[in-house]
Amino acid sequence: MPDYDFKDAKTLDYKRPEMENGYTDQTLYINLSDPQIAIKPVAEKTKKTFIGGKGYDLWLLWNAVQPSTRWNDPENALCIAAGPLGGTPIYPGSGKSIVATLSPTTASVIDSNVGGYFGPYLKFAGFDALEIQGKTTAEMVVFIDGVNQKIQLFETSGLPENAYELSAILTEHFAQGKPRNISVVSTGPGAKNTLIGCLNFTWYDSKRKRARYKQAGRGGVGSVFADKGLKAVVACWNNVTADTNKPADKARLKNVAKQHSREIVELDPKQNEMAKIGTTHLVTIMNDHDLLPTHNFRYGQHTQAPNLGQEVYRRMFDPGFDGCWMGCTVACSHGIKDFVPLTGPYKGKKVFVDGPEYETIAGCGSNLGIFDPHTVAEMNFYSDAYGLDTISVGTGIAFVMECFEMGLIDQSHTGGLDLHFGNRDAALEIVHQMAAGEGFGQIVGQGVRRMKALFAKDFGADATIMQDIGMEAKGLEFSEYMTKESLAQQGGYGLALKGPQHDEAWLIFLDMVHNFMPTFEQKAEALHWFPMFRTWFGLCGLCKLPWNDIIPEDNKDTAEPAKVLKHVRWYADYFSAITGNEVDPDDLIKMSESVYNFQRIFNLRMGFGRRQHDDLPYRAVGPVTETEYESRAERYDKQLAEIYKADIDGKSTAEKLTQLRKQREEQYEKLKDAVYKRRGWTPDGIPTHKTVKRLGIDFDEVVELLRANGVNS
Amino acid sequence: MIQVAGKQMAWHEGMTVSDLLDELKDPHPYAVVRINQQYVTRPNFEHTFVPDDADVFLIPMIAGG
Repeated sequence: MPDYDFKDAKTLDYKRPEMENGYTDQTLYINLSDPQIAIKPVAEKTKKTFIGGKGYDLWLLWNAVQPSTRWNDPENALCIAAGPLGGTPIYPGSGKSIVATLSPTTASVIDSNVGGYFGPYLKFAGFDALEIQGKTTAEMVVFIDGVNQKIQLFETSGLPENAYELSAILTEHFAQGKPRNISVVSTGPGAKNTLIGCLNFTWYDSKRKRARYKQAGRGGVGSVFADKGLKAVVACWNNVTADTNKPADKARLKNVAKQHSREIVELDPKQNEMAKIGTTHLVTIMNDHDLLPTHNFRYGQHTQAPNLGQEVYRRMFDPGFDGCWMGCTVACSHGIKDFVPLTGPYKGKKVFVDGPEYETIAGCGSNLGIFDPHTVAEMNFYSDAYGLDTISVGTGIAFVMECFEMGLIDQSHTGGLDLHFGNRDAALEIVHQMAAGEGFGQIVGQGVRRMKALFAKDFGADATIMQDIGMEAKGLEFSEYMTKESLAQQGGYGLALKGPQHDEAWLIFLDMVHNFMPTFEQKAEALHWFPMFRTWFGLCGLCKLPWNDIIPEDNKDTAEPAKVLKHVRWYADYFSAITGNEVDPDDLIKMSESVYNFQRIFNLRMGFGRRQHDDLPYRAVGPVTETEYESRAERYDKQLAEIYKADIDGKSTAEKLTQLRKQREEQYEKLKDAVYKRRGWTPDGIPTHKTVKRLGIDFDEVVELLRANGVNS
Repeated sequence: MIQVAGKQMAWHEGMTVSDLLDELKDPHPYAVVRINQQYVTRPNFEHTFVPDDADVFLIPMIAGG
């Protein structure tokens, strides 16, 4: 008999609506405080303006919270949605869920996308989106049973804390012999005890007979989940076919899906081999281009980086099909079988590690000066099981390691931990401490922004240098790319709505390696088009990898190779086939523009969303220390002399460092000007009245907010 | 003889990746090529030799994140 207990707290029987053209036209509302379950219709204007996915999340969240709402207030809502195309099993990368909530680390809106079966199953169960408000002191499991048309809330006890075991147990508990019908969303003790918690979304691996998971990592979405008292949200559905989404034109859907799917099968083996090695190929490629963060983003290169490269993980990954959604031919969600951790509660036991991907390798490896693939895998395993975001874990630990090496903190502050770069035991110990909510790990788990304030106040550390080296913006820890030599990518990170995450714009190669955008206007154009197109994937429930990680062979000969327009046209075709709304590629950008600008205005409503909030730590812009400058002196000297026409003869490194900083910071401010202008924003970074009117988001509340912030035209 | 993007191409002793791209007369600014299972990036094109019988893939790397 299982030693856990489920007690009915609330049940709602409902009639599942007929799916129509990718939509159910209703959302599911759950309030944990009362508790309450309700079904809400989606208004036609909401559907037209916000499309689905992240758009629906943002609209639900906007209506749920006030400007005074904080992340741990009961009225904060945690929203999860697929999108109209989500759940299509024949088109690659069509299984994403998008999570949005108010973040504990940014205090504003955060969105995070994730694979796994949950979003599609939620939709097929009858709901375009899920909104959870309130808090409970009991541990609560929500069960959305699309097969039996029943929503159940259970008070539970005795379930394991960590997501690794919890996912397996809940899959078995609800599966009734059909584990593939179940997707579990859960987190772990790290999410409860820190502000950088992630959510694990499961998919069932039929070959390996286990529930596996992907992570919605960014901005502490798991910490919000844990704070609400949620143990898990489980969705159940069966029998997914190309018809389940009820496409408007099935023949057209099959035609375009077949083309894209076949192309990936043909070209992936010739290009990045993502079906075999995932995103691990990026490690050595980034390293060779001085773009792989090492030692808290000081440098972009290290001689030991190949130890973390694709050849190592090619050997470590368990071969087989690893698609996090059904029928995806990219199938990049690889894992390590029979891995044996050297520390923690699973020490000496065989476990399955879901990952690592590039971000985790760079964040928990090279950025910490750790070049041991086993340690990276172990940090990956425990971060997932504890419900911690590996990006924020990596960037956070990198920050404290540099503070330690600079003497800003010492062992009297770290509980005796020696935090020199490369200390694998210490890095793992911090992860275990985060889960336990104890020791120095509990402090690291507050995120870089709070650590900077705490170290200055309590430890007397130099606030100015920490501002330069603490790799966060808007309160979110940087994901794992070096941006010093790419002004466009500085914008890609600094101007991203939620903070420095690469899912809005990844322009490094286009800018730095290919030099496709030499002028400010070209950079601004890229910082308009790419974030808009990438936003569109989040509206529709799609993964962006099939768009531009596997590319048509003739793409290089097209007018704008960076946009991969052949695929963009396929996506317009895909959208038209499912929804019945005939669109062209430009329409996709327009859909995103409405939601993108709305999110910017949401930031403004929460007290952010202005020019000052797009600032970056100087480490993202240029060399902070003389040592950094001298490591690439030839590059920096040349820039000063040739581009900025500075007289550097006889100048000391300190003087040149100051000159370079002045120039680069000016460039970044000029970039802001150009991008704001292109996006139709004021010089302070606020969408103009004209822009919101053009995009159809000139709701009374929006217009009033703009007026209150001095925007009248 | 080597295979480049599925087509046969003559190989010569001392052929580097830079030589290969020059001889292809392909102006695209490739950042990465794959020789069998090894990735070679642009900073290493000039001093990386292409072995005979290699299977070479030209990677049009525009994405990463």
